[in-house]
Amino acid sequence: MKKAKGKRPVYFDEPQLDKLLSALVALTGEVSVLRERLDTVEHLLATKEVISLAEIEAYQPEEQVAQVREQWRTEYIARVLGVLQEEIPSE
Amino acid sequence: MDRQFQHPMLPQATHDELARQNFVKSLKLHIVKNLSPGNKRVYEQVVKPQFEREHQREPQNRHEIRTAMQQHPHYRWWSALRRINQEMLWDAVNTSVERQLPELIERAKESDRQLGTLTLDPDFKIPAYQTAVDIHCMPGSYHSEHTTDDLAAGATYDRGVYIYGVGWLGPLNDDMGLSVVNNYLKPKYPDFRPAKILDLGCSVGHSTLPYVDAYPEAEVYAIDIGAPMLRYAHARAEALGKRVHFSQQNAERTHFEDASFDLIVSHILLHEIPLPAIRNVMRECDRLLAPGGMTIHVDAPLYSHMDAFSAFMYDWETANNNEPFWSAMRDLDLTAVMTEAGFAADRIIQTFVPNGAWKTAADNSQQGGGSRGSWFIVAATE
Repeated sequence: MKKAKGKRPVYFDEPQLDKLLSALVALTGEVSVLRERLDTVEHLLATKEVISLAEIEAYQPEEQVAQVREQWRTEYIARVLGVLQEEIPSE
Repeated sequence: MDRQFQHPMLPQATHDELARQNFVKSLKLHIVKNLSPGNKRVYEQVVKPQFEREHQREPQNRHEIRTAMQQHPHYRWWSALRRINQEMLWDAVNTSVERQLPELIERAKESDRQLGTLTLDPDFKIPAYQTAVDIHCMPGSYHSEHTTDDLAAGATYDRGVYIYGVGWLGPLNDDMGLSVVNNYLKPKYPDFRPAKILDLGCSVGHSTLPYVDAYPEAEVYAIDIGAPMLRYAHARAEALGKRVHFSQQNAERTHFEDASFDLIVSHILLHEIPLPAIRNVMRECDRLLAPGGMTIHVDAPLYSHMDAFSAFMYDWETANNNEPFWSAMRDLDLTAVMTEAGFAADRIIQTFVPNGAWKTAADNSQQGGGSRGSWFIVAATE
């Protein structure tokens, strides 16, 4: 995540709490993104009468699908928890 | 609803990018609707009575109110969330723009100089007051460039401003220019026919273009310090079929001839520059205006227009949203500044112009119902 130049205010007595809130809101945002995508899929599927909820429940991902999912989870976690890496000194 | 006008230069969001931007908007609305009003209640019911017990008087100004409010948890949570919301906004747009930056740069080249012009200055020095912090927390601010023919800052600003305002500046983000034209210039000065118009600190030209439509015979010029803003502004204006001559210049001292413009405007420029620069800009307006010309500067209200608590709420931007000159500008006596710059005191006007012209223009049956408030303007005639 790109940072804006300039001093960032500290809002809480315990500055680490600022970071925890950033992580929480980022996570809330990503859940919202996910929910929106799922909602799109469900609506498209329902409109086209393609698959049922029972089929979704029974689905088992193939290896390639599982790998893409893992890559996505890696980036997802970095997005949510990236704020915690800020105080690691650069090499 | 997302009704930003889809011109060819506007960055396109993928499904998830759009969902991320939607979340930013929803979070913003949550803060405005559910958390912001709590500050006034906290102040009236808790913070102010406590201050009065300790000092035997009311808080006298925004500084005393801020010091007291900063101790209250609600103000802290609200402030922290607003800041995070702003950071997430730029992140949600930045990542989308960077993904498609090569295509945007190519698209800009395709439409180059068909109507208007773009003149960049490779030796231009960005003023130090613009590089000290990234204004309103937009990483890289108005001026940073990372690749050849970079216009990412402009693309990010175009989309970011729309999300920031949750669309309230209209589908083209042009409400300031459009409201000045439709709600001030046209009704107050119906016979005014400027032949040459200059927009100072135009960024991506959001407010420049309404003047092109309003005065189709006029030559319209627009300047800014940021090359990536101007590249995008030029490409956007071309894509929208508007003839504008963009150039990279500092509004404190331009290359234009004396008395070469009939109308000089700026929109939310003054609060982004320090007082010495504001004085220079006003002097430059005085120099550049032809006899019978007019200058109009649009901004949000000044502190003299509001009570101490409202001023305290406004002042949040200064330290929390990287707006270093926001409050200094709002404390100014602009009539005095313009008088010192050479304008006659009896020809300086400070007034309010109803905003929301884009809504009225979009639906004439509303009869002005689109206005949500007003823009403050300071104007002067030569």
